[in-house]
Parts: sequence; C-alpha cells; structure tokens
Amino acid sequence: MALDLGMPILVVDDYQTMVRIIRNLLKQLGFEDVDDASDGTGALAKLKQKKYGLVISDWNMEPMTGYELLRHVRADDGLRTTPFIMVTAESKTENVIAAKKAGVNNYIVKPFNAQTLKTKIEAVCGA
Amino acid sequence: MTSPGWRRPAHGVRRTGKERVVLRQTTERVYSSIARVLGDAPAERRPEPAGRAPKASGIDPAVVGELKEIADYITRLKSGIAALRAQELMRDRLPMAHDELGSVVAATAGATNSIMEAAEAILVIEDSTLDGYRAKVESRIYEIFEACTFQDITGQRISKVVEALGQLEKRLESFATTVKIQDGEAKLDPEDAKRQSRAETLMLNGPQLKGPATPQDAIDALFS
Repeated sequence: MALDLGMPILVVDDYQTMVRIIRNLLKQLGFEDVDDASDGTGALAKLKQKKYGLVISDWNMEPMTGYELLRHVRADDGLRTTPFIMVTAESKTENVIAAKKAGVNNYIVKPFNAQTLKTKIEAVCGA
Repeated sequence: MTSPGWRRPAHGVRRTGKERVVLRQTTERVYSSIARVLGDAPAERRPEPAGRAPKASGIDPAVVGELKEIADYITRLKSGIAALRAQELMRDRLPMAHDELGSVVAATAGATNSIMEAAEAILVIEDSTLDGYRAKVESRIYEIFEACTFQDITGQRISKVVEALGQLEKRLESFATTVKIQDGEAKLDPEDAKRQSRAETLMLNGPQLKGPATPQDAIDALFS
C-alpha cells in the first residue's frame, strides 16, 4: 500500500523551529496538508475538528504533554485508531516503554533526519 | 572541654584560690568571645565590688565549656556566611547568569530562524541562467555563514555562566565544610512540589547529557 501523500498530518510541538523543521521534512517527503499545535490541549481541539491521518507529537510540552495527549487520543472512541508517532528528546527506555503501553505507534529520538521520519511514517501508515 | 590548669571539682568541694582564678579567667575569655562574636565589640563587665568573690566562681565548668563551643561555632558560622558573599551572588552573579542564558536562548532562536529562512529561500530559487542561479544561492549561503557566528558569542556567554556556577559550587562546598552542615529534610514550596510531582509522574526528563539514553536502534527493536 503506497503512502497517501494527501492525508492531513498534525504536528504538535511547543518549539516553532521544530514545527518548521518537521513541516519542511514532510514537504520534502511530499506531504502538503500539514497543521500544527503548540501543546496537547491545542492538538486535541484540532483533532476533534478535523480527521487527521497521522499525529506527530513532542513529549515535553505544557500544559498538556505529548504523553497525556496520546492517552487522551487512545481513550477517545473517535480518535483511538489515529496513528501516533512520538518525536522527542525523552529517550529513557522507561519513557519509550510507557509510550508504547499507552498506544504509541512509533517513537523517534531527536535529532533525526528525513529518512528516519519517512521510514517511521511508512511503518505506521503502511507503504 | 577543659581549660589548661583547670580540673573539674566535685559538687560541694570548696575551690582553691588558684582554681577560682583559672575559672574567672576562662569565664572572662568566653564572655569576651561571645560579646565579640555577637556584637563585634569588646566585652564590658561591671567591676566586682571590692572584697567580694567574682560571680564567675559559681558557674558550672561544663556550662563554660559549652558556651565556649557555642562561641567557636558561631565564629565559624559567621566566617562561613561571610565567605559565601551572598550579596555579591544575588546582586551580580546570579542575575548575570540569568541574563546570559536568556540571551543565549534568544540568539540561538534568531540564528536558527535566519538559517532556516535562507535554506527555504534556496529551495525555491529560480533563474534562467546558471550564473544567475549560482549568484542567488551563494548570496543565501553567505547569510547562513553569518548566522552561524552566533556559536562564538553564545559559547562565550555560556562560559561566563559555567564560571559563575563553579564559584557558587565552590563557596557552598566551603560553607558546608566550615559549619559541618548536613542535608536536612527539604521543605518544598507547594508550587515546586506540584511541578516536581508532575514531572516525575509524566517522566519529563528532557534531553539526556551526551546523547540519547536509548539509541534509536534499541527503540526500533521495541517496536519491531
């Protein structure tokens, strides 16, 4: 199954520079419909307004972290199947395991490159 | 603590004249030490009325010893506090560290923004001739070089902060050694306690020193 380059993607990060980097990498991979939010609360609001094919989220944000966002998404009947990739500097094994238990589909440690992002998107969304 | 020439008499034993002299001298030393420490002034005593034995002769030598120890401890404490130079830390070094780190954050954000703008501009450059295209790309590349000068400046700023933290660490270590202080139960500010508890619950650790604690390959293995 080829990647659907038209699918809407939501990027969640409180650092605008990081949002910009991920946007550019996604653009390089061919994705054009990319929205962003600066924390979990904003992301949750956007997820309830629009059907996204993928969420790419940081972990360390306030007031709602990426981990809390993930748990909210997995607890919501309308959102629970949305693919979710964590892109974060939180790289302790316990964090990765906790995120996996909470239902994350994949996990990328910062810093990363376009190839890593592409591989993970393909693994999550099917290619 | 026993002063030279002094032996502790049993209760009810009458002191000799020599013992009374030694006790009076010791008491006066302790008295002037405490007065010096607490008031930074020479001790003042009212003269004993003629023909009366000094009041000091009635003081238990154990109490004298304890007072001497307290006086010594207070002297050490005062010297330790003075060596901390807390006013200088609060007035100069800590605000400087705060300002420098703020400038580093602003400088790195500004530089990143400039670099990304230039890179994004390069991606959409169009020109009908190769020379024209090359000139436009080169112009943007020089913008990137200019923006990279932030590293030199931020490096110097961070060095100042590291030096200030080193000073703080050195003084606190010296203070702790001088007053033989032990870590006690910390009473956390309620807001700090809440923040700490949230960080622990949500495992907010931030970037690891010297690279990720778990490499990407190991993480991939968990998801395979």
